[in-house]
Amino acid sequence: MAAPRSWALWSFCGRGWSRAVSGYRVPGLRSSWPRGPLGARLLSQEKEATETHFGFETVSEEEKGGKVYQVFESVAKKYDVMNDMMSLGIHRVWKDLLLWKMRPFPGTQLLDVAGGTGLAWILGDAEELPFDDDKFDVYTIAFGIRNVTHIDQALQEAHRVLKPGGRFLCLEFSQVNNPLLSRLYDVYSFQVIPVLGEVIAGDWKSYQYLVESIRQFPSQEEFKEMIEDAGFQKVTYENLTSGIVAIHSGFKL
Amino acid sequence: MATLLRGVGRPLCAFRGSPGPSAGVPLRAVSHGAGLLYPEHIPTSLLQKVLLAAGSAGMALYNPYRHDMVAVLGETTGHRALKVLRDQMKRDPEGAQILQERPRISLSTLDMGKLRSLPEGSFGCAYLHFLDVNKFHQDASLFHQWEIHQGDLLQKVSPDTRAPTRFVDDEELAYVIQRYREIHDMLHTLLGMPTNILGEIVVKWFEAVQTGLPMCVLSALFGPIQLSAQSLQLLISELIPWAVENGRRAPCVLSVYYERRWEQPLQALRQELGITEPPLRVEGLV
Repeated sequence: MAAPRSWALWSFCGRGWSRAVSGYRVPGLRSSWPRGPLGARLLSQEKEATETHFGFETVSEEEKGGKVYQVFESVAKKYDVMNDMMSLGIHRVWKDLLLWKMRPFPGTQLLDVAGGTGLAWILGDAEELPFDDDKFDVYTIAFGIRNVTHIDQALQEAHRVLKPGGRFLCLEFSQVNNPLLSRLYDVYSFQVIPVLGEVIAGDWKSYQYLVESIRQFPSQEEFKEMIEDAGFQKVTYENLTSGIVAIHSGFKL
Repeated sequence: MATLLRGVGRPLCAFRGSPGPSAGVPLRAVSHGAGLLYPEHIPTSLLQKVLLAAGSAGMALYNPYRHDMVAVLGETTGHRALKVLRDQMKRDPEGAQILQERPRISLSTLDMGKLRSLPEGSFGCAYLHFLDVNKFHQDASLFHQWEIHQGDLLQKVSPDTRAPTRFVDDEELAYVIQRYREIHDMLHTLLGMPTNILGEIVVKWFEAVQTGLPMCVLSALFGPIQLSAQSLQLLISELIPWAVENGRRAPCVLSVYYERRWEQPLQALRQELGITEPPLRVEGLV
């Protein structure tokens, strides 16, 4: 996976899907949600004092975007190495499975959000996409939605920009369903991952955030309901690696 | 394993940095505000310290430019030695004062103007000269930055230590290790050692004997690997014995309040500490 050179978010593959497929890997975790040039949204009065989580820390919603941004600025350089080290290369398998599930064909209008690499780049905000309604056949987001401040808004936007009949696909860390594995996974996550982050990337805190943000993300069922709330139908999910990650799928009908 | 993970108490539980509810998951809430012993503190479990020590040692050997790894190694393996050092400092009146007042050495605390006005031959003057000669830079991001320059390994030296202590789980000991790092340049000055590789190794031997810090011992033992045969021969036959002898003879160098001795003649300070002239000139050797 090529290391992303900028913190731009999107990969909009408008045409030539077959061209994309041969060299194409599903982009990984690469999200930054600056309250940037596009979709600069004024916070409404009601949202002022709202708090949310940043890993296990509590922060204001306003702060979260900036803090997540800093994390990804920090991890960018060693991003690919770290993904390989942390997952022992398995993240590539997960992403391949996502692509396989998608079964894209030439001409598919695909929007990949929080993409690490891609053909054409557009900078934007997942909570306020710079696209018209009913534009894409498939919307994917891999290891990105966890970092969005308002997941429900990102889901609504996904629904909006998809064509009727379009498919939403999300690859994300989820809850492990096996008790023994869950214990081992916890130990590995909290004891080993930050150490790897420190030794390889000189960055303990970003990787501490990573493992904490995974714990904060809704369970498979809860996330399924959130997707349904956004208007998607035929919502299903599939666990990979005993639920360490899950692929959620929904359709705009 | 279940009982181990139930946070019975720190010594019994390999996985806990601090007690918390669920298995293997340290309470992050503890890492914010209340649980921290000092601002940059990252509480770590025994397992994490072991992994960090091993990882940092490996990475430091693999990539000698990773000075942050040497620092991490020092912090994760130094607990016992730091306690001994701290106790030594407490027993000494000057050392006790240092522990009390916690002086820091950085660009902001050093009065460069005053240092420059000091008479030739004073400790402060020699220290300043050392910084000048070794290309003292204001924005060194680490305590030392290695740079390959025309075949020599030169170090950019700055009094700024921007790498704060993180993995020491005692705030007084965290200061002690920070102090140890910050007086490193003073030791160079006292020992008359330049900042090339050979000079650094000599200082490390001195520090190893003085502090007993595992990181110093490891650096002293592994540092020479990269030396030429000639330098290695000089090191073993002359420099190490000299460094060890001086290290043993000198009182605890962390108990010296260097900031109060700028005017003291360098020779007088050396004599006080029992530090003799180096047996040979190390400049220009690699």
